[in-house]
Order: sequence, then structure tokens, then C-alpha cells
Amino acid sequence: MRFTTDTGGTFTDLIVEDDDGALHLFKSATTPDDPIRGVIDVLKVAADTMGMDLRTLLGKGELFIHGTTRAINAIITDSTARTALLTTKGNPDVLVFREGGRMEPFNFRVSYPAPYVPRALTFEVPERVLHDGTVAEELDLAALDAIIDRLEEERVEAIAVSLLWSIANPAHELKVRERLTERLPNVPVTLGHEVNPVIREYRRTTAAAIDASLKPLMADYMGNLEGRLREVGFGGRILVFTSQGGVLDAKDVARTPIHVINSGPAMAPVVGRYFADLDTGAANAIVADTGGTTYDVSLIRNREIPWAKETWIGQPFRGHMTGFPSVDVKSVGAGGGSIAWVDTGGMLHVGPRSAGAVPGPVAYGNGGTEPTVTDAALALGYLDPDNFLGGSMRLQVEAAAAAIERQVARPLGMSVDAAAAAILAVVTENMVKAIADITIAQGIDPASAVLIGGGGAAGLNSVLIARRLGCDQLIIPEVGPVLSASGGLVSDLSTHFREVLPTRTDAFDHDKVNELLSSLRARCEEFLEKNARGAIETHISFRLEGHYPSQVWDIDVPLPSGQVETAADVKALEEAFHQVHEELFAMADIGSPIEIIGWQAHVSAKLRDEALGRMATDSIGAPISGTRRCYFKETGRVDTPVYSFGNMAIDERIEGPAIVESPLTTVVVDPGAVARRGASGSVIVDVAPSRQNGGA
Amino acid sequence: MTKPMDGVQLAILNNRWESIARKMANTLLRTGRSGVLATARDFSCCIVTGDHKLLSAAESIPIHVLVGPDMMARSMAEFHPNLRKGDAYLHNSPYHGCSHAADLSVLIPVFDDDGRHRYTAVVKAHQADIGNSLPTTYMGSAKDVYNEGALIFPAVQVQRDYKDIDDIVRMCRMRIRVPEQWWGDYLAMMGAGRIAEREITALGREVGWEHLAEYEHRWFEYSEGRMVEAIRKLPKATVRRSSTHDPVPGTPEEGIRINATVAIDPDEGYLDVDLTDNIDALELGLNVSEACTRSAVLIGVFNSLDPDVPRNEGSFRRVRMKLREGAVVGIPRHPTSCSVATTNVADRITNPIQAAFAEVSATHGLAETGAILPASMAVISGTDPRRNTPFVNQVFLGHTGGAGSPTHDAWLTLLHAGNAGMCYMDSIEVIELAYPIRLYDRRVVADTEGAGQFNGAPSMVCEYGPAGCKMSVNAVSDGGINRPKGVRGGADGGASRQLRKRADGTLEELPVVISVEIDPDERIVSYTCGGGGYGDPKRRSPAQVAYDVREGLVSCERARSVYGVALTADGSIDEKETARLREAA
Repeated sequence: MRFTTDTGGTFTDLIVEDDDGALHLFKSATTPDDPIRGVIDVLKVAADTMGMDLRTLLGKGELFIHGTTRAINAIITDSTARTALLTTKGNPDVLVFREGGRMEPFNFRVSYPAPYVPRALTFEVPERVLHDGTVAEELDLAALDAIIDRLEEERVEAIAVSLLWSIANPAHELKVRERLTERLPNVPVTLGHEVNPVIREYRRTTAAAIDASLKPLMADYMGNLEGRLREVGFGGRILVFTSQGGVLDAKDVARTPIHVINSGPAMAPVVGRYFADLDTGAANAIVADTGGTTYDVSLIRNREIPWAKETWIGQPFRGHMTGFPSVDVKSVGAGGGSIAWVDTGGMLHVGPRSAGAVPGPVAYGNGGTEPTVTDAALALGYLDPDNFLGGSMRLQVEAAAAAIERQVARPLGMSVDAAAAAILAVVTENMVKAIADITIAQGIDPASAVLIGGGGAAGLNSVLIARRLGCDQLIIPEVGPVLSASGGLVSDLSTHFREVLPTRTDAFDHDKVNELLSSLRARCEEFLEKNARGAIETHISFRLEGHYPSQVWDIDVPLPSGQVETAADVKALEEAFHQVHEELFAMADIGSPIEIIGWQAHVSAKLRDEALGRMATDSIGAPISGTRRCYFKETGRVDTPVYSFGNMAIDERIEGPAIVESPLTTVVVDPGAVARRGASGSVIVDVAPSRQNGGA
Repeated sequence: MTKPMDGVQLAILNNRWESIARKMANTLLRTGRSGVLATARDFSCCIVTGDHKLLSAAESIPIHVLVGPDMMARSMAEFHPNLRKGDAYLHNSPYHGCSHAADLSVLIPVFDDDGRHRYTAVVKAHQADIGNSLPTTYMGSAKDVYNEGALIFPAVQVQRDYKDIDDIVRMCRMRIRVPEQWWGDYLAMMGAGRIAEREITALGREVGWEHLAEYEHRWFEYSEGRMVEAIRKLPKATVRRSSTHDPVPGTPEEGIRINATVAIDPDEGYLDVDLTDNIDALELGLNVSEACTRSAVLIGVFNSLDPDVPRNEGSFRRVRMKLREGAVVGIPRHPTSCSVATTNVADRITNPIQAAFAEVSATHGLAETGAILPASMAVISGTDPRRNTPFVNQVFLGHTGGAGSPTHDAWLTLLHAGNAGMCYMDSIEVIELAYPIRLYDRRVVADTEGAGQFNGAPSMVCEYGPAGCKMSVNAVSDGGINRPKGVRGGADGGASRQLRKRADGTLEELPVVISVEIDPDERIVSYTCGGGGYGDPKRRSPAQVAYDVREGLVSCERARSVYGVALTADGSIDEKETARLREAA
């Protein structure tokens, strides 16, 4: 038996994969004061429902896979450890200046971000290494000792050390750690060249600072999680989701917590890839996860999950860049809770403000007064007021309609139905814009991709989104409402290693490169040896990071082989670069040499080989039949047949307009679209033939 | 289209247009070659209507895009009455709507299925070189356009039936110093323009061209309405202010003073800006083109108002400008050189305008933004001893310059008014790897902020030198004498300054026009301009002052003397003494 849990803002999700491979789905409220209690709570719910006591249930478990927002929440609420930064003398403001850049050039009502580590806790170490690794200035040990005195006085709880060119020669960083460990043995230390060996010092430094600041609390959290799971009877292995779309052992995460900061959104594309392939065989997919407040978009390109090196916590330029490579997920403020409003010029907006979980949409009856996307869907008849979240909450239709009437319909001089449809149309545009951004950045034509909808609210407007993008098909997996949690069941144990070694293809340093690639391979093998004995399949691959001469930004290119021996190998590497450049940017400079800056090795181990099981009947919902009066722009109010995932047979086809429901999600099949049930249990919608713009 | 649907369709189509402009910009940023494009983000992408009105622009640097694309599109249509699908035009003529010669632009007319010219996609990017007589794209000393030497393209056709006209390409390759880099940027620009053409065509077919035309009309009306609403919140007033560029050889003794009169008419909902009272054009490259003059005015205006007012032809209608032909700012006559039109003197247009709004309203305007180009942004050149190859490049080693606003401290890395902080800053490691340069020090300089209730940026100091070779350093660093002014009682920001550090450590002051060759064991020490403060520093939150002191940005003495905040030995606020100090003020 396997358990996978994901602690979200409102709910803690649990999927239990029983010994027959069937999936059971449970939800319980998140307990922010002690998130592990929420995890134990939802396990108890599962035990009760499945008719076992908790100890018996957990005793059957071999794997417990956990997704946590503990790290990112600590950063957002500014409750990480009191962290000091040691930098090279002359570069004290690396976290103040960052890399420059700004958004919204005319908006002067935004604060310049404070550095992640205050200047008051930043210390300059006299030393200097140059780009070729030579030491221009020796490390001043006396000065270092004086700094350590200050660190003691300041009672710092964590220390990041990030020196210039430590990637070319780490001796000084290592020496600094040695002294720190001697004198402050209980204070955790992160070194820039170890945690994020990349060439831009800001990215290495911000990663080191974030990692160090999370160490005390994540070590506690992981220790606590393991201890309490053992206490209630779990004897198996504990793994944690990472921002790289994989899983790592809890102990490894405690040692390098930066791995988990964006782990929730990073799992969605892993599951998305699984269903894109299984349901349609598509190589390209857009994976969209609709939450209450945010809409997270990621991509699958040629069955690969693209990574980003510029992940921000918060808004670009206004938050903190992690500098650490992670799955490329774009998050915009659009979701079920996004608030609709009309500005003084008479233009309708949806978001970016959200009603959040509290007070939530007007329909929740918890004091919300501003109409949201959820209210609009309810007013249109798409949601069943008596069976929302499996009937755990009764929705108030009249209150939702009245709010739409007051805030949108009347100011715009239209009917409540038309206003509600307009709210969906506008939020659809916001979502489409987010997708367009990420697809253009990865060189994908959305029309060549399938759209995968995750999150409870995905089904409300995903047909509209797919039509706008020109996608032919939309997939809503059975596990769609808990897309991230289900990632635990299909992801691999994985990590990556990187090194900086600049060279050019027209003056290629074979010896050094091959030596480096061999050492990267050795590290991968060591990881497998330590963590992946008995894995079903293991995989090691290599990539380079490089650019055309005079270009500023690097791209990642898979290496054709793990060594670069001959002139033909270099040629093959150049060709691989041209090809990726062409895919991303629709142009390549054939004949130009390539400047290579960094090298990466990715290692993964498959821990399971069977396919993801189907949802058990207790989680898919009882068969229902009947109709609801729904409003569609094309038809007005019509009697619309309602189906359940539970009674829709494999390959059964349903023509829109129709609604397909499960306890946790609702799929709106708009007029003109045709839905069918795939063998995997997914609802697959052919959104064509009717393609029109929303709203016009 | 029924009236009530407007607000919804407006929102949806507005989103569609924004999305097209962003696609253009993303494509260009990621494929561009030259550092000034990919690092400084010195480019813009926008869409102009068939009757040459700015409809939608991607987030671009403001001096590039507010006015200019419309003028360039108009000149294209005038010079080429028979525009055809598949055409593309090069444009960089400051006498026909371009900002300055370095901003080579690609214009692509977009047609409906009946062959009617509906829109023009404009892609503009600062080139690494444009064939000037000296290897710089900012040629301050240029006596006229001939001395400047750039190739000038007043809407010259470069593609027909989607194919390059090779004559033009060959001319560029013969004249532009880094032809491969130029070619890479040209391909990137053309790619971005053709993406826009494809997307606009699809949009027109989908929703109907007439429907789009109606949207334009309504969008401009909406934007104009929002502008009127913003102007109505201002007091009725007329303010005259000036701002002066530091003197350089060839300018009047006081420098180049720019006088601007701003008249606010909340009753009628208009702003009038008069720039006619200014000196004649100079025999220098510092004159400001008409496009940059108009953009600089609008930057001052939009920096001062609610950021939600859309920026397009509709809102622009409410800003009336009086310009003079043949003046240093206004409408330059050929062959006046405008080589440096986007930065130095243009900022001296924006600053008095945003400060004028602050003068009349405590909830509007901005203090003055810092001047550029400091030595930390110089063009460096020499021979790289590691490869024995020549190098020439503009570096972006550091900038500050943000101004205090009515509600917030400065955006530290704003750079200058025309760029608005969009520029990236060079990584020490990346620049040391690419060029024979070594960065010794870069840091914020304490006690140089433009003190205010909301602070202007402090200066930063940047010390760098060559690594094993001689190095030429060229820049025109304004703001050493005429510092960025504070408003409403706010103090001026730190001055720029540049020094040559000899091998023995002695320092030698360098002039505004920096043009030196330094030895392998010498260094440049560059101080950037800070920004002006907004409001009385004695009204700054004491907690914020205590934070600034704790962070080493402001000294204890300055906290006391300038902000009237007394701190105890442990850094906490001495409430009683603070109250006394502030009362006394």
C-alpha cells in the first residue's frame, strides 16, 4: 500500500493506493498551526472509511509520499531562521542589487524588495578567487575569526556562505565552513557552490541564503513527520515531493530544503505527462491546475518537462528569485475565488484579488460579498449547490446571483446570466494569457498540445480555454482534483548535479570536460547506490548549458552521450544545440560555435512499474442522472443532462451541452463539444468543432 | 454591438492585444544577441492602428514606445502609398519619428483579407552598433548627422513578399561594425514582427476586422475617459520648472537647461505642456528627437498619475504639447544630431514635469530621477590578452537613481527616467568571464539617499579595472553638478562622480565626458546618481529610519540631523528626544 499526501492551503489531500492498485481519495482540513496533525487527521479519515484502525492501515504501507508547503509558507510569512550571509569583500550588496529589472514601469506604488538576508547580517570576507580558479587574494583567517565572533554575538541560527568564483575553486568556501563548524558546531551552514553550482553569483547566493534559512525548521519538520508517522504505526519509507518534479528521502530534504519550496505545483506536470501519453499519446501538453486563488500552468514538450532557472517566490522582480532550477510553472492570480469587478470606465475585470478560502465566494455564506468565478459558475447552473465538495458544503445560489447582479450585471447593464457568463469569459482570457506566455517561452504552438485540467475548478471553463488555444482535446483525469497529490504515485526518485566549466566548441577542452562528466556520473551512481537499491529502472542523462557567442542567456541542451571524445562528438553536440535553439526560438545560427558554461547530470530511479490504478467507487461518486437548467452563451438557459464519472462507461460519448460530475469536480461540456470516458477513467473532451472567441 | 456588452468585450479584446504584444517581446528578448538588447532590455514591441495610433505595447522601456512608433508608421505609409502584404520596412530616422539612429526598427504592415492596411507591427531595438564614425551608439560629440555617421533609414523597404531585399542587407553588413551580431538581432526582430502579423491576422479573421475597429474606438474612448478622471483629481495650476544637464564642451556655460511649463486643467480634463522656451539645437549629439521629446513628456505625466490609466492614443489625446522646431528639445531639423536622444537631455524633460505634479499635489508626481550615464555603464574596449582579440561592449555594472514617490521609497535600480528600471545588471562573474575586466567593489553608499518622507535612491560606488591589459572607457556622466532634486521638502539625491585610481592608490577626478585609456594596474571608481526624496524627511516614519540605520544605509548622526530621529545605543527609537527634535524643526 502507498500513501501520498499533499498539504494545501485549505485541504490536506490523501490518496491511498490499496493492494489491488485502486485509488481512494480523502480530504481533511489543513491545520496551519501544526500541519502534521492535518496529515494524521486525513489518515484517520481514510482508516475509518476503509474500516480499519489507523495502525492496521499504516502497517500495510511501504511508501509514504508527502508534499508540503511548510518551506514556502515560512518564507512568505518571514518566519525562517535568523540567517547570516558571508560574501566576498567588495560584494556585500549582492542580495540588494540582485540582477536589476522591474515590471510595470509606471507603477511607483510598489516597494523595492528588502534583501533576503539583511545588510546588518551580511559580512564581507577578505578573499578573492578569479574566473580560472586562481587565488588573487588569500582568505584572511583572522578577519574570518572576527566575523565568527560577530555571528556568535548576533545569535544567528543559520549561515549561508557564497563567495565569488567558488564554482571555479571552492577552497575558500570549504575553509570557511571548516572554521564555522569548529566554532559554531550547532549552526547549519550552506555553501553556494554546493547547493547551486551556477555561474551567476546572485543566483548562487540567493539559493544558499534561502536554503540555509530553511534548514532549522525543515530539519524539525521532517524529524517530526517521521517520528509521528512511526508512532502511529508506519514502518515504510518516507519520501517528499521536490520542485524538480521528483521525490527525495525526507532526510535528504532536511539537508537541502531548497528542493521543496515549489514542490506542489511541480508535481502537476508529472501527472499531466502521464495522462497525456496514456489518454491521447500526445507528446505536447499544457497542464493547468486551477486553485482558489492561483492558476498554475506548466508544459510538457516532447514528453519532457521544461525547467526554469528563474523561479520567483512572489512576483518577478518584487519577490525573491530562488536561483535554483525547478520545473517551469507559471502562476497567475486567477482561480475559483477571483473577484469580478467593474472599473470606473465601465470595463469588467476578474482578479487579481481573490476571496481566498476565507471568506471565500459569496455562495459559501461565510461573509463574502464580492462575486467570484465560483459564484458565476453556480449562477450559471454548472455547480450543484447541494453536492459541492461531496455535499460537505451547501452553496447559496441566490446570494451569489444577487452579488453578480449588484456588482457586475447592473453596472454593465446586462442580465445576471450574461454577466456570469462574462465573468467566466474574462477569467478564461486571463488564463489563456498565462498559457500563451509559457508556450511562447518554450517554443510550443498550443494548437499542437492537449490541455490537461487539474484542480477542483478546472472543469468549469477548460473547454473554453482549449478552444481559445486551438487545442483539440481536453483531458480531466479522475485524479484531476488532487493532481499534485497524485504526482507522488507516478514520479521517480530523482536528483541532479551541476558543475561550471566554460569551454567553446571551436576550442574544446576534451580532457577537462570528460573528467568532469565522469565525476558527475560517479555522483549519480553514488546516489543510486545509496537511495535506489531495488529500483525497477534507473536513468542517468547529461545536459549542457550554453549560448551562441555574444548571447546573454543560456539554454539547456541534452548531450548525445556521456563523454565527448572526438571531433564528431563535438559536432553532434553543436547540432543538438542548433536543434534545441531552433525549437525554442524558431531560428538557429548553423555554423556558429557554441559557448558552453555549465554541465548537468540528471539521475532518476523508477520505484514502481505498474500503471496508476483507477479510482475506487467510494471516491468517484454515486451514479446520478437528471438535468439542471444551465446557461450557455450559445443557447441561453437550457435543460442540461448531468452525468457522473461513476456512471459514465468507458468510451461512452456525451454531446454537449452536458455536465459531468464527481464529488470533487465538475466538467462543463459546452455546446458543440463531445466528451467520452477514456480507459484510464479520464474524461476526454473533443472541444472542436465549434471554435469561437469567448464573449464576442 | 449593443452598448451594454462593451465592458466585457473591451476586457477580452484588450487581453488579446496585450497577449500579442507580449509574444513579440518575449520572442525578441530571448533571441536577441547584443547585450544592450538582452541585458538592458533596450527594445520595444507594439501595435499601431492603420491610421497610426498607438494601440497596444508590451511592457517596454518607456522612452522607446509612447510616441514614435505611430510617427514611424505614418511616414512608412506616406513614403509607400502601395503597401503590400509581405512587406517590411527598416526605420531609424529621428527626423521621421524614430528615437535615435541606434534604435533600428522593423515595421510590418498587416492587412485584412481584402488587402486593406489595418495595423502596423513595430519592433524597435537598440543595436550594438549602427555605423557611427566612432564605435559608440551614444555619440555626444557628434556635430551633426554627417559627423555622427550612422546609416539612416527613413522607412526603407527591407522585405518584399516575405523575402529580404539583399541590397539593403549588404549595405548594413558593410557599415555596421559587428555585422554578425547585427544580423542575429535583425533575424530576431523580424521573427517578432512576423509573429505579430500572424496573430493579428488570426484575431481579425476570428472576430471580424470591423469589430476590431469598433473595439479600437471604444478602447481609446475608455482610455481617454480614465485619463480625464485622473486629471480631474488634480488641482488647477500652472507650474514652470527646469532641470539642467551638466555642462560639457559645446554647451552653454550653465549646461543645457530645459524649461517646462505644465498647465493642469481639471475642469476641461487637459494637461498642457510647453517646451518652446528652450535654447536652439546644439552642434552636439545631445539634441532630443521629436519622438523622444514627446515620450519624455508623457513619461513625466504617467509617472505622476494613477498607474492604472492605460497608455495609448486615447489617454495621450489629453496631453497637449507645444514644441518648437529647431530647439534642443522639440522638433530637430535635419542634419541636427540626436545620437543621445533617449537618455541624457530627455531625462531633463521628464524630471521637471513629474516634479511639477508633486509641487501641486501631495498625492501625485515624483521627485527627480537620477541622471546617467555613469562610468559603471561605460563602453569599454581594448584587446583581450586571453585570446588576443579586440573587444568593445557597453557594461551594466551598476545603477541606482530611483526617485521617492508620494507613497513609497524609490525603486533602487531604476537607472534613469527613460528606462524605468527595466534594465538588468551585469553579473560580476559573467562579465569577468566574457571580458578582461575585474570588479573590485560595488556597494550602496551610506548617507547619499535623497532624504524625504519617502526616500530617493542612494548612490552606489563601483570600482573596476582591466585584467592584464589597457582599457578604454567612454561615457557621458550627467548629474555631478545638477543632482536629482527632491520635492515637497525632500532633499536632493547623491551626485554622480568618476575617478581614475592610479596604481599607488591616488585618485584623479574625471570630467563629465569620460574618455580615458587606463593602464593594467589602474582602476575606475564610479559613483552613480541617487534620486530625489519626496516630502519632508522629518515626517518619515521613525521605525523606517531606525531600520535604515540598522541596515547601514543611514548613519546615526544623519538620522538625527536630517530625519529628526534619535536612536539609543541599541538602535531603538528614543521617542522623547525624537519628538523634541521634530518639534524644533
